[in-house]
Amino acid sequence: MKGKKRLKRLILVIAATIIAYIFLVPLLFMVFTSFKGLSESISSSELLPHVWTLENYVSILEDTTTSPIMRWLINTIIVTVTGTVLVVAVDCLAAYSLARLDLPLKGKIIIFLIWVMTIPGIVTTFPSFYLFRELKLVNSFIPLIVPYTANATGVYLIYNFLIDFPVSLEEAARIDGAGEFRIFWKIVCPCIKPVMLTLAFITFLAIYNDFLWPSLVVSRNEMKTLTTGIASLVLGANFVNPGLMMAATLIAVLPALVLFMFLNKYLVRSETNVGIK
Amino acid sequence: MKKKRKTAGVFFAPFALCFVLFWLVPFVYGCYLSVCNMSLTRGNQGFIGLGNYIQIFTAGSVYSEAFFRGLKNILIFVVTSVPLLVIIALVLALIVESLPEKVKGIYRTIYFMSYAVSVTAVSAVFLWLFNGNGGYINNVLLSAGLINEPVSWLEAQPFAWIVLVVATVWWTVGYNMMLFINALNSIDSALFEAVAVDGGGFFSRLRYIILPGIRNVMAYVILMTIIASFNMYGQATLITRGGPLNSTKSLIMEINDVIFTNNNLGEGSAMAIIMGIVVMLFAMCQNWLSKEKKEIKEVSGS
Repeated sequence: MKGKKRLKRLILVIAATIIAYIFLVPLLFMVFTSFKGLSESISSSELLPHVWTLENYVSILEDTTTSPIMRWLINTIIVTVTGTVLVVAVDCLAAYSLARLDLPLKGKIIIFLIWVMTIPGIVTTFPSFYLFRELKLVNSFIPLIVPYTANATGVYLIYNFLIDFPVSLEEAARIDGAGEFRIFWKIVCPCIKPVMLTLAFITFLAIYNDFLWPSLVVSRNEMKTLTTGIASLVLGANFVNPGLMMAATLIAVLPALVLFMFLNKYLVRSETNVGIK
Repeated sequence: MKKKRKTAGVFFAPFALCFVLFWLVPFVYGCYLSVCNMSLTRGNQGFIGLGNYIQIFTAGSVYSEAFFRGLKNILIFVVTSVPLLVIIALVLALIVESLPEKVKGIYRTIYFMSYAVSVTAVSAVFLWLFNGNGGYINNVLLSAGLINEPVSWLEAQPFAWIVLVVATVWWTVGYNMMLFINALNSIDSALFEAVAVDGGGFFSRLRYIILPGIRNVMAYVILMTIIASFNMYGQATLITRGGPLNSTKSLIMEINDVIFTNNNLGEGSAMAIIMGIVVMLFAMCQNWLSKEKKEIKEVSGS
């Protein structure tokens, strides 16, 4: 009986490893191809390079007119960090107001937000683009950051977490005469940290990965983010050299992958499911 | 009391402002654009009532062709990608959860990792994996002698769709898996023990405990996956560029073309609104179906 159970477990681990390998192949392909020269990269049938070379990285970092990767990286950091901080701050304040404070019409506001969540983003994408263009704000950071703050889903996520969370702590502080903002900052925020982190992570990835919106509002090469910048490489002349493309892609995904490694363990708790019940 | 209301308002104000400026205003403006003859270069040429909508539903018009071609293509993608994205995610979650505690984290991270990669990176990688000329898959198949000449994966159907679906599954299935893992963790473990005592195997556990236990999360995952698949844009733009012969051109790509190539923002806005309605109808159907099932189960269970 025990032997059978161990055999089952072994088979499971082997299956899981094979699947893991399949999942890793595209990433391994990206990493190893970036170290291959042109002729090897288009003819090789092996993942590992025969001759390791840094020429792809050198030519990308040198050619700052077609691929200003460092500029794109800085843009990406500015856009994702500001955007994420704004979204989390605005959404948490609104959710706290809805869940705990005496906001007029709050029941109706919540129903309205749920309705809004079901309306696909495409309905507002093009009119937003036209309005930003009329205001002469395209090719600046403003349209790359601010539209993400209209995030009904984030408010709803935090709201659902807050209504399940006991009121007693805040009440004690309130009796002690602490101001609402102080209560929010000192007592509520630390308690809802896991769900805030989840929202921050989802928002960061959504902004970082968004493609349609930034490619509408930004056309100048030096204002691009990594995602749109790499897209212009994919669609551009570098298309003929996979090694070069993979090197650019690897530089572009590295910041998100590193952040992911740090944060992913926090996401494995029931927090990501809040709001689905 | 009055003071408390004021604080509530102050807390809510930043979101209200952002929401009105960046959602409500564009939304209302989009509805207005859809009843105007409007272009990006010439500006507003005046109110034309339902003209843009009539164009979409007039058989033979350029816009009708574009809209229904895009709709057909995106429906093919939704129907093929959503079941895979849900079923594979659930299978992965079940595998991860039954692995020994020590290695769970490693496998979970590997399956989830590709979600952190941007759509352009996914596209660049799959473009060079499946490229007809010098792509990795062709090189491997050629050197193994399985094919004699390179296959143009991206220029022939059904391969083009298969590549797009595979790329999408690889990219996003990990997120659905994480939602399922969290849902599985919240099922009461006493229930599993009860079935084990009754001598039930894996499939009775799946049917009587796991599936009912994660029902709400399942409904949510299906809904979100349907919406995401309808919005597919980056993969098809970058990997297949809508080809071969526009057969992988998604609805958003068609709308984009109407606005920029045909220079018709009014028509594009009308298409976006119809697309919004189609997605909402799908969402409502799915919601209604999952509720229906729940009622049937409750009735038959009692």
